[in-house]
Amino acid sequence: MATICTINIASDIAPGFGGINESMTLTQAGTLTDIDSTTGFQIRKLKSTSTVDLVTMANELVEPEDSQAAKIYIRNIGDGRGNVDKSVGVTIGVNAEPLGKLFGGDWMMAPLTTIDADDVTATPDTDDTVVLEYIMFYEEA
Amino acid sequence: MATTTAAITLTSDLMSDSISVSASSTLMKAGTTADGLDQMDYGVIEIPTGDQYDLICTTPTASKATKLYVKNHSIDETYYVKIMIDAQDIGRLYGGDWMFIPADFHDANADVEITSIGGTNKIEYALFHEGTTLTAS
Repeated sequence: MATICTINIASDIAPGFGGINESMTLTQAGTLTDIDSTTGFQIRKLKSTSTVDLVTMANELVEPEDSQAAKIYIRNIGDGRGNVDKSVGVTIGVNAEPLGKLFGGDWMMAPLTTIDADDVTATPDTDDTVVLEYIMFYEEA
Repeated sequence: MATTTAAITLTSDLMSDSISVSASSTLMKAGTTADGLDQMDYGVIEIPTGDQYDLICTTPTASKATKLYVKNHSIDETYYVKIMIDAQDIGRLYGGDWMFIPADFHDANADVEITSIGGTNKIEYALFHEGTTLTAS
């Protein structure tokens, strides 16, 4: 029951930079046991600049265990009809603290506390339709 | 134009039908389609237990399209680092874990902070950005 994430970064910014190629198996905190719970793969269509919760920790049907090894993957997939606009950004936050913007096509993989107050939020720059896909992996309380 | 691409492959068999996601993004300057991020900071550091440290000591220009990669290279699965931004706890990276996030450093307090738990953690990081605020000597 393994969940595996691999990242490959290639760049010509710095001559001689050999790139980054790393893989991780998502495990439960402090162990080699595979992580065992997920929200499943979801999408959220946003049409205004209002801040919304992508994940409301207290509302998860399966209560996440706090402060463990949870991770979330989020990607801005454009308008959901195949149009990906690099100029349209969505600010991703945790408990009202902005992390940064995912522009069209950008993705992120971040650790989470899954504490009730630490909801994952999304705030689009514009009223243009933008769709986020996401999945959270966590441990059941 | 400098070109930086970041790709992820995610597979999981937690559900009866396996999940497989692949995504790749060319890292562009904020709001552009023609100009890629052209600066980077890359390093490996050892973080001792005890104090909280700023992982990113200089603040790139705020509200841009900066991306940050961090990996915990500790081989002990019980060791971890706490990642915080502007005093907000984001989460933990245990030995072997990595993260890749946008980091727009929206104000001077929004440094990425790190605390080592369990023992000394070896951390690799790469910051891809545009512009930076230099500190006069």
